[in-house]
Parts: sequence; C-alpha cells; structure tokens
Amino acid sequence: MTVTPEFQGTHLFDRLCWAKENLEPHQSDYRVVYEDKIDECAKILVPDPNWMACALQGGILPPVQVYWELAKDEAQPDFVKHTRGHLLHNTEPVEAMTEEQAIEYLIMKDCPQHVWRDYDSGNKPKMVICRKEQLPATREWRNAWKISEELATDETVAA
Amino acid sequence: MALGKIKADTLEHSTAGSLDTQYVVNGSAKAHASYAGSGTSFSSSFNCSSAVDNGAGKYSVNLSSALSATAQVTPIGSCNVNGDSSTTATTTIVVSTSAYKTNTSNDQGSFTDAAGVFSVLMGDLA
Repeated sequence: MTVTPEFQGTHLFDRLCWAKENLEPHQSDYRVVYEDKIDECAKILVPDPNWMACALQGGILPPVQVYWELAKDEAQPDFVKHTRGHLLHNTEPVEAMTEEQAIEYLIMKDCPQHVWRDYDSGNKPKMVICRKEQLPATREWRNAWKISEELATDETVAA
Repeated sequence: MALGKIKADTLEHSTAGSLDTQYVVNGSAKAHASYAGSGTSFSSSFNCSSAVDNGAGKYSVNLSSALSATAQVTPIGSCNVNGDSSTTATTTIVVSTSAYKTNTSNDQGSFTDAAGVFSVLMGDLA
C-alpha cells in the first residue's frame, strides 16, 4: 500500500501532483442530486476520481472547514485576493475516509450551504445521495428534472 | 515532501536565450477537466474535486486547490461536436476562486449537451 508522505505545510497543489503520480483514480458510483433554486432544474454533482483517491488515501486533503473560511473571506465586499491561502497548506490534513464519508465531505465543500444545512426540512428533500444507476437513463427533458416527490431510495430519484 | 529540489531563477539555452522560471511557474495551467457532456463523468482531470451537471449544456467544475483571486484568472473551454447536432460554442467563466462554469451551445445559441467538454484554468493559486 502506498504510504502518504508527511504533507502538513506542503502546498496543496504539490500534494495533488504527488497523488496524481502515485494513486489510482477511483470512479465513484455515487451522485449527489440537489435543488439549488426553486425555479431551476435539479443539479447533479459528480465526484472527481483523482480527488476521491486522495480522500480514500488520507493525509492529503485539508479539513473542509478550511474551505468555509476561504469562502467567508471571499464573501466580504472588499475581497480582492486570498490572504489566508496558507490554511489550505498548513492545516493538518484529514485522515483516510470511507467513500461515504468522502461524499459527505464533498457535499459540505461543493454544494451551497443553504442546500445541505437543512436539506430535509421542507415539503420534500432538497438533496439526495444516490447511485448513478438511479438517475434517468436518458437526458430527455433534462432542464425539467426535479427530485422525485415520492422518493424511495431503491428507485429512480429524478424525473 | 521527501523529494529532491532544483532551485533556479533562470533557465538558459546555449543558443536560444534564457527564460526566467517565474514564467514557467506562473504560466502553467492550474487545473484541467475533461468530461462527458451528458453525465459529467470525468475522463481526465487535475486539481478538481467535482463537476456539476447544471442542466442541458451547463456545467461547473469545483477546484481542490483554490485560486488566489478571480480577477486574475483565465479559463479556456472547448467541446466536441455531437454526431447528431452541431454543438459549436463554449463559454467558460470563473464564478469564484474555487469554481468555474462552462456552457456549451448549438449554432442557434441554445444550450446543448456536448459529447465532450474540455477546460483549462490559468492563474495564481491561493
């Protein structure tokens, strides 16, 4: 098994270069379907295989809270340039995750917070984790896809 | 990292002149993504954490290692022409320091899925 070098303090980009060279990409079957705005169709998030390999390996990715801190900085009206990029590189990397934990991390990193923070509090779920086989088989009416109101996890989740 | 390092500010060729290495560092692509337009599954990528299928012909890519600023970034996109429709144009825009969007459209200007979507991102890292 490949051993991850001690990466705390190494630029995240350099860690990704190491991972690309040393880790086998992992194609995940998981998809995250979410509805961001009420008048838009459902969006489908697909994990990157190289990123998933890093998550499964451990010791490479920073904690997800680091991305939240950078997003807070960027949301300031006078934001010009990141001055706390060191958080990505100097914060202790997270341990190896299971594929399911990696998907949860990815949701908290790449989905809008207003979607995942209360995804299950409305009349129907705003977000669903499914397998790619549960998505519609063709792209017909793609711009009208919504999360099924009669959601059952063993069936197609968007139509 | 337990790897060897070569430190140099300048690369010099015997006849063709010299090049400051900051051109190499700053001029390298910081991310690339290649994925299917229908389904958004990656075929090749670097520095990406996920791709999002936002609808027909509308995609976004999230980055692992964020950029320092959006104003100094140049995304470049292209797409495959579909066999059964002429998907001709791509527009790639940066939406934040950790995400950019790519849209593909046909010759009537309607957003349309492309067989393949390719993009490269230039700029400075955070």
